[in-house]
Amino acid sequence: MAAAAPVSLAEQRRAELGRLLRKKYKYLDRTWDAVFWITAIFIVGAAADITKLLFAGDWDFWTDWKDPEWWPMVTAFAVVIIPSALQYIQWTAWRFPTGATYTSVCLFACTWIGRYFQWHVAEYYPLNFIWPISTVGAGIFMDWILLKTGSYIITSLVGAPIFGITVWAFNYIPLAPFLQPVQFMNHIVTVADVQGIAYIRSQTPEYLRHIERGTLRSFLGEAQYVSLAFGSTLAIAGYWVGQFIGRYLSVWPIGKYIKNY
Amino acid sequence: MRTRLWKWFLIFAFAVSATSYARSAFAHGEAADEPFLKNLTVAFYDVHISPTNIKVGEPVTITGSVKVLPTWPFTLDPPVTAYVNPVVPGPVFALRDRTVNGVPAIGSIAIDRNGIYNFKMVMLGRVPGRWHVHPGFAVDGTGTLIGPGQWVDVEPSATPFKYEITLLDGKTLDLEHVGGSGVWWWSFAGFLIGVVWMFYWTVPGPWRPDRRTVHNLAVTAQLPTWDQGRDFGLVTEGDHKWSTFIAAVTLAMLVIGWLYMVSQYPLRIKQQTDRFTPPQPEVTEMGQVKALGSVYNPDTHTLTINLEVKNTGANPFTIKQFTMGMMSFVNGDKEAVEKSGPPDFVAPMQVQGNATVAPGQTEKVTLKMSSEMLDEERLIPLNDPQEIIAGLLFVQDTSGKTSSITLRSTLQPTEFAKKYF
Repeated sequence: MAAAAPVSLAEQRRAELGRLLRKKYKYLDRTWDAVFWITAIFIVGAAADITKLLFAGDWDFWTDWKDPEWWPMVTAFAVVIIPSALQYIQWTAWRFPTGATYTSVCLFACTWIGRYFQWHVAEYYPLNFIWPISTVGAGIFMDWILLKTGSYIITSLVGAPIFGITVWAFNYIPLAPFLQPVQFMNHIVTVADVQGIAYIRSQTPEYLRHIERGTLRSFLGEAQYVSLAFGSTLAIAGYWVGQFIGRYLSVWPIGKYIKNY
Repeated sequence: MRTRLWKWFLIFAFAVSATSYARSAFAHGEAADEPFLKNLTVAFYDVHISPTNIKVGEPVTITGSVKVLPTWPFTLDPPVTAYVNPVVPGPVFALRDRTVNGVPAIGSIAIDRNGIYNFKMVMLGRVPGRWHVHPGFAVDGTGTLIGPGQWVDVEPSATPFKYEITLLDGKTLDLEHVGGSGVWWWSFAGFLIGVVWMFYWTVPGPWRPDRRTVHNLAVTAQLPTWDQGRDFGLVTEGDHKWSTFIAAVTLAMLVIGWLYMVSQYPLRIKQQTDRFTPPQPEVTEMGQVKALGSVYNPDTHTLTINLEVKNTGANPFTIKQFTMGMMSFVNGDKEAVEKSGPPDFVAPMQVQGNATVAPGQTEKVTLKMSSEMLDEERLIPLNDPQEIIAGLLFVQDTSGKTSSITLRSTLQPTEFAKKYF
C-alpha cells in the first residue's frame, strides 16, 4: 500500500477554497443570482446609454453623422467606459469575464426600446435613420481577452483598442447600404445624407453636424485609418475611466460601508 | 364625509379648469426668445405656405424671403453661417427639395449682413395630422429664427408614404425602408451571441451544474485578481474552451458579414457636405428712412412709428408694408393683406401723412399697426436692455418696382411691464 503524498499548506488552502465554492447556503441561494442579473439590466443599460449619449450622442443617433472621421473616434471612447467598470466589478467579485458583454446586451435592449418608443412611435423618425450601434461583438472580444490574460492592464492595452475597432467594424456592416451614392438636389450624396435632409430636424441645423469635411494628403487620403488608430488609443483612456468608476465609485464605497458597520 | 366631498369637488374643479384653459400648442418656442433676437436680426417677408390641405405623400411648398438686417445686434456673434429649414413638429413632413436664391442647397449657406435669401422648400406630407409649419433660418451662434407659420392639414392616404430615391446605378429605393431590416437582423444576431455568452457564464446547466454568482465573492475575496482558481474549479478549462468557441463564432460572423457587405455594396462614398454663398438678387435702392421714435401701447397692442422718408429714386413711391421679424403690416385693402403671408402673421397698417413720396422729397409719416401677435410672439421689448425695434419698410414706385429700407428706432412703451420684485 502506497503512502499518501504529503499535502502542503498551500494545497490545503486551495482545497478549502474549493469546498467553500461548492458550499450549500440556506438563505443565499440562486434566487439572489437571478435577482441581481435581472434587476441590474436597466440600471447598467441606462448607465451605458447615458454615457454614450453624453459623449457620442448625435454620432450614435443619425446615419448621416456616422462618418469616417469622428464616429470611430468618439464612439470608441464613449462606449468602453461602462463595460470596463462592469468588467472590474464582475471579474473581481465573481471571476466572470462578463462585464463588457453584459453591459452591451443591456445597452442593446435599452437603446432599442428607447429608439423605438421615444423616437419612432412618438416622434415619427424611421428606425433606419436612428438605429443605435451594437457593442455586443466588441464586448465579447474584450471579455475574452480578460479571461485569457486575467489582467486589467493587458486588457486595457490590447482589449480596449480591439473593442474600439470592433465597434466600428461591427456597425459599419449595416451602415454600408446608407453610404451608397444617390443623385439628389443636383448633388451626389449618400443615402444617409438624403435621410438627414428629408427627415426634418428643426433644432439640429446642418452646420452642427460634425463629420469629415476635408481630406488628408497622407494615409491614402483616408481619415478613417487615422481616426481608428486615435479612437483605439482613446479607448484605452476610456477603459481606465471605467476602471476608476468600478474601483472607486462602485466597489470601494461598498467595502468601506461593510468594514465600518 | 362632507369635508371629503369638498376635497374631491375641488380636485375635480381644478382639473376641469386646468384642462379647459389648455389651448392647442402651435408655437415652436419662438415666444421664449427675447424680442431683440427676432426684430433686430432678420425679417421674413413674402412667405407663402401652400396648399394647406393635402394627403400623405402630396407636396407642400414654402416660399419666401429673409433678409439679414444691418441692425444685427452687437450682443450676438456676427452672422456667418445659416441653415434654411422648415420648422415643424419632427419629421411629419419629409423635405424633398430646397433652393436658396435659386441654387439647390443640401447644407448650410454663408451669409452676411444685408444679405437677402429667397428660399423655396418642397415637403411631402408624411404623417396624418394638423401641423403648424414655419420657415426657419438657423444662424450659427444664434439659434433658429422662425418665420411666419401656417396650419397644414395632412390627411391619410390609401397608399402608404413612400420616398423614392435613385442610386447612381439607376436602382430605385424607398428611403423609408432602405437598409432597415439589415440593421435590425444584424444587430439582433450579435445580441443573441451576447445572450449565449451571458447564459453560459451565469446560468447553471449541463455545461456547469455548479454555476453560481453571488457566492463566488466568498472565494474571490481571498484571491488576487489574476488568480482564476482553475485548480479548484472557480474558472474551468471548459469555461475557457466554450468562451473561445463563442468568441470565434463572433469573429466568424464579423468576417462573413464584412465579406457580404463588400460584395453587396461595393460602391460606398463619404457623407457629403456643401456650403456656398448664394448669389445675391439685384436690389433697387429707392429711398432713405430716418426714425423719429416709436411708441407701443400694450393695452391695445398698437405700435406707432414716426419717421421721415426720403425718395432718392426717379419715380414717386408709396409706402406699402412694414415687416418686423415674422410679422408683416400692410398698407392696402383686404386682398392685399391676405396676399402678404400666413393670415396669423399679417395685419393692416395705417399710414398717417403722405404715404406717397415724390422723387427728391422728404415726408414725415406715422405708421400705426395693431396685432395681438406683437405680444404673443414677444416682438416688442417691454422690459429689456435694448428698447429698440427694427424692421423693413417696403415701398413701391409707379413702375411697380419694390424696394426695402431698413428702419431702426428706439421704442417707448406707454407702460412698462410691472415689476413686483
